[in-house]
Amino acid sequence: MNVFSSLMRPGRPLGLLVALVLAAATTGVLSSPPAARSQGADVLLNVLATGAKKLNIVIPNFAVVAGTDTAGLGRSLPQVTAKDLTFSALFSVVSDVPPIPTADPAAVRATFANFASAGAHAGLQGLLSLRGDRTEVEMRLYDLTSPEFRLIAAKKIELPTSQARRLAHKVADEVVMQFTGEPGVADTKIAYVNSGGGSKELSLMDYDGAGATRVTSNKSINLSPVWSPDTRSLAFTSYMRGYPYLYRMFPFEQRPVQVVAGFLGINTSPAFSPDGRFLAMTLSRDGNPEVYLLTLATGAFRRLTTYGGIDTEPTWSPTGREIAFVSERSGGAHIFVMDAEGANVRRITQAGFNTQPRWSPKGDTIAFTSRQGNFDIWAVSPDGSNLRRLTAGPGNNEGASWAPNGRHLVFQSNRSAGGYQLFTMLADGSEQQPIPRTPGESTSASWSPRLP
Amino acid sequence: MAQRRGSALLLAVPVIALSLFLVGCPKRPATTAASAPPPTGSPSPSAAAPSTTPSPSMTPSPAAPSTAAPSTTPPAPSEFTANANLKDVFFDFDKYDIRPSDARILDTNATWLKSNNNLVLIEGHCDERGTNEYNLALGERRAKATMNYLVAQGVQANRITIISYGKERPTCTEHSEACWAQNRRAHFLVKAR
Repeated sequence: MNVFSSLMRPGRPLGLLVALVLAAATTGVLSSPPAARSQGADVLLNVLATGAKKLNIVIPNFAVVAGTDTAGLGRSLPQVTAKDLTFSALFSVVSDVPPIPTADPAAVRATFANFASAGAHAGLQGLLSLRGDRTEVEMRLYDLTSPEFRLIAAKKIELPTSQARRLAHKVADEVVMQFTGEPGVADTKIAYVNSGGGSKELSLMDYDGAGATRVTSNKSINLSPVWSPDTRSLAFTSYMRGYPYLYRMFPFEQRPVQVVAGFLGINTSPAFSPDGRFLAMTLSRDGNPEVYLLTLATGAFRRLTTYGGIDTEPTWSPTGREIAFVSERSGGAHIFVMDAEGANVRRITQAGFNTQPRWSPKGDTIAFTSRQGNFDIWAVSPDGSNLRRLTAGPGNNEGASWAPNGRHLVFQSNRSAGGYQLFTMLADGSEQQPIPRTPGESTSASWSPRLP
Repeated sequence: MAQRRGSALLLAVPVIALSLFLVGCPKRPATTAASAPPPTGSPSPSAAAPSTTPSPSMTPSPAAPSTAAPSTTPPAPSEFTANANLKDVFFDFDKYDIRPSDARILDTNATWLKSNNNLVLIEGHCDERGTNEYNLALGERRAKATMNYLVAQGVQANRITIISYGKERPTCTEHSEACWAQNRRAHFLVKAR
């Protein structure tokens, strides 16, 4: 019987749970060397083999082992980690329970035994060292399904205290890494367009909506931000100089904004190649909107499409060998795929009015926006098969952007009062939830790659 | 004509880049500043001279590129003003061809333009439905179709500049077809030579 969920009830102290002290747990709880990742994966596989959909993990408050915790990080950080792991949809999390004892092995074992008897499959211990402007978390991840409460992994992470919240995200990403072989996506940012100040400006926030910060203030129209693969820069369209030019900015560095393309006509819809060497975009300098490729090192532009009407919205396959885009060459707007040199164009959508293709970082799916009545987000395989609908209202749902693991999407919806806001969902359309809102409308989200 | 202008602008791009700053500089989101990689060794060097040298002024020049601007650089949109003699034309949903009734409006506009030697800015606009990027392309096509019609009527192409605002500058903000129809338009502004 899985009683883990009973821990989630507010106000139920863990100490009231029946303690089950395992006789086998006698040594090695804290002294085991960090284990190979496959052992973490084994725990997950074993749990999944039992039919559980999620792995139960308990994240007690972090113990302060150095310094004075004036900001209450010992309690706030593990709650951020807990939210991250809940968001991952891989874990069922219990948090906000007293820290695991740090000194007495018997007390540690008793605590783990408590957790295990309550249904926890894994336990995460955090040791917090506060050293003025630097803060360190040592995380220790334990397998509570093993009789000896085996240590799966231990890792120390240090960041400037001003970025302490990222420590929590990085801990969460490491936990996901241990159990799945790929890091989580908590230490990422979302760039988006926000109209809260009266003009459309670019903003950044943590993936969970925290720390929203405006990064343009030119009082014109700023659109379509996209991240470079190294997460250092954003390409975007702006009317800051009157006409819609393409720019590149470095939001974390004191560097000037660069004009990337300032041709007559539109300079829009930027998309960095996966290796960061090229920027695909839409230019109308040759008379109508066509997809071009800019080689960033040389400044050379190369035209990829040659249709006399609209071609726009390029998006790269993760291999960099193909580009999906929107064209009205067969009537209406449809998604097409071509080789990155512009050859071998094939159509992959048949019905509806389809725009905003976004190629999954895993390569197997292209999300796009389809108008069939309202606007909704759909997905299709790059060969045109496996068409499926991810949203079905309410309102319009548009502008999907993939998380770097290809498991989540951020998108904009006007389903709630107050206009467009950003939401997230899993790649199958489940778990749709709003990102905590900022004033004004928020649109055009771009989910960053993992931060360094 | 458009292609020639574009080439000239491209040559000016590196110069523009050196002088261009955001107002007050972008804010640094505090949470990642210190972990950003150093500016050296960038795996993706930029086309536009990634200079870290501050410009003489930290405020951007207010409008169109003026540095080393060739004579073909169009004036800033803000230099154009509306003129009551030039009427808007409107478009069907997701279309950019000139409707017969609007062709007559454009004939009148062309007649006025041929007797008044102004520069003309044609704005292409869309309704709120659909994506920013696609509507920017659609607004471009509407402005271009309008320009082509005027040129066919004898208005000199080198007097005309087009700009697409996509769905970003609606005149009517209700969510109804009556309102959308007003927003799917080409709008005219003029500037004395």
